[in-house]
Amino acid sequence: MNCNELRDHYEMYAIGVADEPERSEIRAHLNRQCEVCMEGIKRAREIAALLGGSATPAVPSPRLRRRILASAGGGDRRFGWAPFLAAALALSLFAVVYFAGRERDLGNELSRVRDINRQQTIELTRVNEAFAIVNGVDTTVTTFGEGQPQPRGKVFVNPSQGVLLIANNLRPAPAGKAYEMWLIPKGGKPKPGGMFQSSPEGSAMHVQRGPVEDTAVVAVTLESETGSDAPTSPVLFAAQVSGLQH
Amino acid sequence: MMLLPIFLAIHAVEDDSGLVARMQRRDPQALAELYDRYGRVTYALILRVVRDVGIAEDLVQETFLRVWNRVHGFDAQKGSIGPWLLAVARNRAIDYLRSAGGRERNALEFEETEHPALYIDMEKDILSADNARKIKSAVEKLNPNQRQVIELAYFEGLSQTEMAERMGQPLGTVKTWVRSALKNLRDDLGAVVPA
Repeated sequence: MNCNELRDHYEMYAIGVADEPERSEIRAHLNRQCEVCMEGIKRAREIAALLGGSATPAVPSPRLRRRILASAGGGDRRFGWAPFLAAALALSLFAVVYFAGRERDLGNELSRVRDINRQQTIELTRVNEAFAIVNGVDTTVTTFGEGQPQPRGKVFVNPSQGVLLIANNLRPAPAGKAYEMWLIPKGGKPKPGGMFQSSPEGSAMHVQRGPVEDTAVVAVTLESETGSDAPTSPVLFAAQVSGLQH
Repeated sequence: MMLLPIFLAIHAVEDDSGLVARMQRRDPQALAELYDRYGRVTYALILRVVRDVGIAEDLVQETFLRVWNRVHGFDAQKGSIGPWLLAVARNRAIDYLRSAGGRERNALEFEETEHPALYIDMEKDILSADNARKIKSAVEKLNPNQRQVIELAYFEGLSQTEMAERMGQPLGTVKTWVRSALKNLRDDLGAVVPA
């Protein structure tokens, strides 16, 4: 058969369904490098390849790639690196979260320690002030509430340094209230001597710094926690200051 | 600017021949790259023929292994691996259909690597979504008889004699439909197929 007679069979040959005798004839032409048939089959295979691309798009499962590479004797480098990259990324994220958390925790801890330190400094200052008053050569001590179940304690008065009040059996003040100490001169009006609270165990220590030469009585009332300029409630307990030099 | 298409053409050929050369050196990463480029279109083609996901994946695996094992006989300077791969894929799928249907298998045993120059570089044409639409449109423009014979030939691997039996039509009539269908496709796809 000549090339012209085979022309209509190129596509069928290209997709492998040419009938005999055309199939054998085309193969013979190709085997002897027939330029006409070579060109014709090349064009036919272009059509065949394009028809292959006309199938409805579909996506194979991801494991097929691994299967093919494994069966060809090679590893899947893309997937081989993936676990390491994923692990490195996870580790980095963990480190960021962990150290960020640690930094936040350390920041919180530092802030808490600073608060404690500040509180202790205040307490220490108060204790030092209290010691200064207690150890003053001209300090007088007055006891109050002896023999009573209700508040009792001592008042240390140093004319030049101030007053130290130590009380027991003093119930914590109700919400919104606080104890206020009053320094009452003989024949004069009570002067505010500072606010204080009692501990849950009923003990309290209050220091009022400053000269108190004219104080004759130290008294305590329950006031609003914002304080008052003058007593607004009955005196809870009072101590007559004795021995002060007026 | 005028040199850009030439550069791209040369670059594409180098890529293709480089890929084949690496496969011939048994570089598994080259096979991975071939799969990344043609895996989906190969799977879609085989699935269209066998219509079973599991069998299609098995045949895709078989196709890529066949290409991997036969690539040493492929001359990348003369032919292009993409169309060759698709021809192997279709042959594997049709061969499976024939086996499953108890049909003869030798009708498709044409040599896949005998004439590599016949598989010209069509990578961009095969993988182009735009071209896929044009081909679908060209097939849809065929009349029902023409479309059926093309489907039976391409996706079921039936010879004209087998189509005549399947359709209950005289062989001459089927041959006429096949000829006219292929002529219409050639005319329609003339702009798509590279000269």
